[in-house]
Amino acid sequence: MLEIQNLHAEIEGKPILKGLSLSLGAGEIHAIMGPNGAGKSTLGYVLGGRPGYEVTEGSVAFDGRDLLDMEPDERAAAGIFLGFQYPVEIPGVSNVQFLRTALNAQRRARGEAELSAGDFLRLARDQGDKLGVSMDMMKRPVNVGFSGGEKKRNEMVQMGIINPRLAVLDETDSGLDIDALRVVGDGINRIMRAPDKAVLLITHYQRLLEIVEPDHVHVLAGGRIVRSGGPELAVELERDGYANIAEEMAA
Amino acid sequence: MSLLELPSARDENWRWSDLSALPAILDRQPSGTVPEALPWIECTREGPRLLFVDGKLAAERSNLGTVEIGMVDADPADHALAKQIGREGWRLRLAQDHAPQGLVQIIHVSTGAADHLPAQIELDVDAQASVVETYVGEGWINRLAQIRLFKGARLMLSRRLLGAGGYVSITDRASVGEGASLTVTTLAAGGGDTRLDGRIVLAGLGAFAEAGGALLGRTKQRHDANLVIRHEQPSGMSRQVWRSVADQQATCSVAARVEVARGAQKTDGVQSLKGLLLARTASINAKPELEIFADDVKCAHGATVGELDRNALFYLASRGVPQPEAQALLTQAFVTDAIERIGEEAVREAFHANAVTWLGAA
Ligand SMILES: Nc1ncnc2c1ncn2[C@@H]1O[C@H](COP(=O)(O)OP(=O)(O)OP(=O)(O)O)[C@@H](O)[C@H]1O
Ligand SMILES: [Mg+2]
Repeated sequence: MLEIQNLHAEIEGKPILKGLSLSLGAGEIHAIMGPNGAGKSTLGYVLGGRPGYEVTEGSVAFDGRDLLDMEPDERAAAGIFLGFQYPVEIPGVSNVQFLRTALNAQRRARGEAELSAGDFLRLARDQGDKLGVSMDMMKRPVNVGFSGGEKKRNEMVQMGIINPRLAVLDETDSGLDIDALRVVGDGINRIMRAPDKAVLLITHYQRLLEIVEPDHVHVLAGGRIVRSGGPELAVELERDGYANIAEEMAA
Repeated sequence: MSLLELPSARDENWRWSDLSALPAILDRQPSGTVPEALPWIECTREGPRLLFVDGKLAAERSNLGTVEIGMVDADPADHALAKQIGREGWRLRLAQDHAPQGLVQIIHVSTGAADHLPAQIELDVDAQASVVETYVGEGWINRLAQIRLFKGARLMLSRRLLGAGGYVSITDRASVGEGASLTVTTLAAGGGDTRLDGRIVLAGLGAFAEAGGALLGRTKQRHDANLVIRHEQPSGMSRQVWRSVADQQATCSVAARVEVARGAQKTDGVQSLKGLLLARTASINAKPELEIFADDVKCAHGATVGELDRNALFYLASRGVPQPEAQALLTQAFVTDAIERIGEEAVREAFHANAVTWLGAA
């Protein structure tokens, strides 16, 4: 589904990704772990097409299409969802308005009919309920005054409404209390665990991976994937940290 | 041949305006062609409807109700544009405790030339009125409004400038009595240039005045608002909330002043002048001024000019919203503060819709 080959990317002339290769098949969940500053969020932004993140080498194919050639909104319409490590506040625009605009823009781009206000509100209420986000919150300006955990839950409500094919979730678990972690983890499984979908889960902690069990775990360090393995790799990293990896890289 | 004497650009109050197109418009002949469909606002409480075409009442398409046509008592000799205006115009005078009436709607259509028309609004003790004026067309529409609110009276005056081109100049002279309330909201969402002048005097104890709006400009449009709110008595409250949006080579300017006279203690004034630049080639001027001669007052003022938040733009894009739509949505959110002040829902929504149309027409 997603084929990343030898990806090099820089921000303001500074190389961050240095030959990253990764392949995700349909129905798979991959976790990416790695030290601070390794380039994990950068990978997410490059996949999302954030301005300022310049790809200097390599390729990314999504369902065989050249992803790097698409505008950010086209990538979303093609089925990619980016869960932000730091969700953005938008004063003056309600969650409901934001999401309805987004969903209908995607539907238009795919040649589907737009959703009526009533149908959209039902969908929003339903997805909100499942993640403990009230309709009152849905009517508030996007993320404004939301706590860290509420913002992350709100990201998952958005994912539920948009129903993407590939989700790149950047530290969706950070800032969540134990109960919310369970709610969000269950949400990821409910929305994204399907034979025709895939997830790239960026996280620092094993805890989320106990709920959303990954098929593969990768370590991103120094702008490349330096190790890959099964779920046991996450357990090992949780126990030993990245010291061994640094040695391997130095060797 | 026109006899228009224009102020020089060296005049501090006029330095952001460009009046150079006006003399030519003065010499033009109106086409007289009025559009079939006019932007009347559908509302639950219908009131008087007046249509002025090139400054003359189109009686067959109007319903005067409580509004009269007659001599207006105003002396605009000190204003370069308003002094062109004669004495006959429309008047809304409501007597003490006048029963509430429906929305007063006035549409001014210019068919290409210049027209000048004064207005007088006088609300006696505790009377209330809500007036919406809509400006459409291509020429120069020049207006003067003399407003007087007696004790406890309330006036909500909302104006929208939707003309495809040309020039609209509006000069307000208002006096607000004890406990009375005046709210003037202006939306410039057309294709022409604008000059707004207002001088509001809070002449009674505990009077309230609000003068604000949204100025939207693109191409080489110029919008220029020049407002003074003067607190003469204690415990008055005033609000000046302006949102300017400038794209391409447009210039939006707001100069807003609060004057607090000696003895006008417990004055509470707020000025919020914000500008949004949609292109580096556009300009926004914001000049908040305070002149305070009392010691126990609370006046907050802020002026900021910025661009659209890149993070918000990418966030919207990542959710599938194309760039132009994302820009329009964020810009709409930016001007909301200024339009939200309008009390009646039907009017507020009509103004919102006009702003959205303007933003979507890029
Ligand atoms: N605008 C920028 N200009 C210069 N360097 C940047 C910029 N944004 C990010 N970087 C750098 O890129 C590197 C990778 O950052 P990134 O956010 O991808 O790391 P990360 O792996 O997500 O870290 P964390 O675990 O802390 O979230 C860091 O060294 C960071 O300082
Ligand atoms: Mg990160």
